[in-house]
Amino acid sequence: MSASLTLPWMEIAPSAVHHDTRQHAKDDALAALVEQYASTLYRVAFSVLRNAADAEDAVQEAFLRVLRHRDSLDEVRDQRVWLVRIVWNIVLDRKRRAKTRPETDDVSELARVLPATGLTAEDRAAAVQHHAHVLSLIDTLPAKEREVLVLSAFEELSSVEIASILGITESSVRSRLFRARNLMAELLERPRSAR
Amino acid sequence: MTTPRWNDLPDRVRNAEETLRLMVTAPAPQGLAERVQARLDAAPRRPFWMSWNGPGLNGWMFNPVLRGCAAAAIVMVVAGGGWSIYARVQPPSSANNMPVPARIGPNGGFSNAGAMRTPSTLNGPVLAHPAIPAQENVVAPMASPKPGALTTRSKPATHKKQAAANPVR
Repeated sequence: MSASLTLPWMEIAPSAVHHDTRQHAKDDALAALVEQYASTLYRVAFSVLRNAADAEDAVQEAFLRVLRHRDSLDEVRDQRVWLVRIVWNIVLDRKRRAKTRPETDDVSELARVLPATGLTAEDRAAAVQHHAHVLSLIDTLPAKEREVLVLSAFEELSSVEIASILGITESSVRSRLFRARNLMAELLERPRSAR
Repeated sequence: MTTPRWNDLPDRVRNAEETLRLMVTAPAPQGLAERVQARLDAAPRRPFWMSWNGPGLNGWMFNPVLRGCAAAAIVMVVAGGGWSIYARVQPPSSANNMPVPARIGPNGGFSNAGAMRTPSTLNGPVLAHPAIPAQENVVAPMASPKPGALTTRSKPATHKKQAAANPVR
């Protein structure tokens, strides 16, 4: 014969169970976001920072920010654009801070990006030099035009989404892209010695 | 203002954008998602001061403990304010001597404000008819003033000077 004794403090409140369930669901949603968008955010970060370790660090910082605001994840309309905007702000901030340091042309990172097949070693070295030169020209563009030009390279981002990421109108995106391309044409037509 | 189409751009610009496209299609390193997830798992979910009682569902206002603390703080503030006002208004109970207000005279509630009354007794009352000396100890009536004294009596300023020079005995 055993008497079952149940005290009030021994019982788990239904609200606590519900709360745990909700937290578990939020964790799952966050894990799904990481799985789905981590590579996209990495590419966005890498396009600005051009360094694999820095880009990965920026992605981790972006998801840590998402973790802090995971209670409001349901309110986000377009999670992809929201995440890109977060990581974009992070990398711009890092880039701004890194300007105090001397810039280094990390050619090895560019070589890693280039496709490995169909290129001889000489062609590969020439391609790396060419891309490094183009990137250095892009860095000389004004910030507004440069940002639009970089984001327009992402095929999965429409002009509306770019406008949302940058916090400007779609017509501003188009006009900035127009100016950026004209400036790039001018810069590329100048001989190297004239620069 | 229209955006230049891809075919209208010079080859060099297209090549430049190819460089950008190459950069943005860089493959993510292996295991990136797992590393990010591991760091998220290791990160603290809540600040320390909120983690001891579990997180609020819809913000701190719905946490019963924090609501209780807030209510207790409000009660303390109100009670402390009331007590401070009460302690300031009430006289100290340990005082032995109570201040007595100034007594009001029988003539009324107004004082003389420090003014001294000067009775006009120096010249004495002027009797209309001579008094009959009925008793010995009665003071003899004052001699009638001289004819020249009438002139001085008509001058109130002289009367005041005399009063100041001959104080009341």
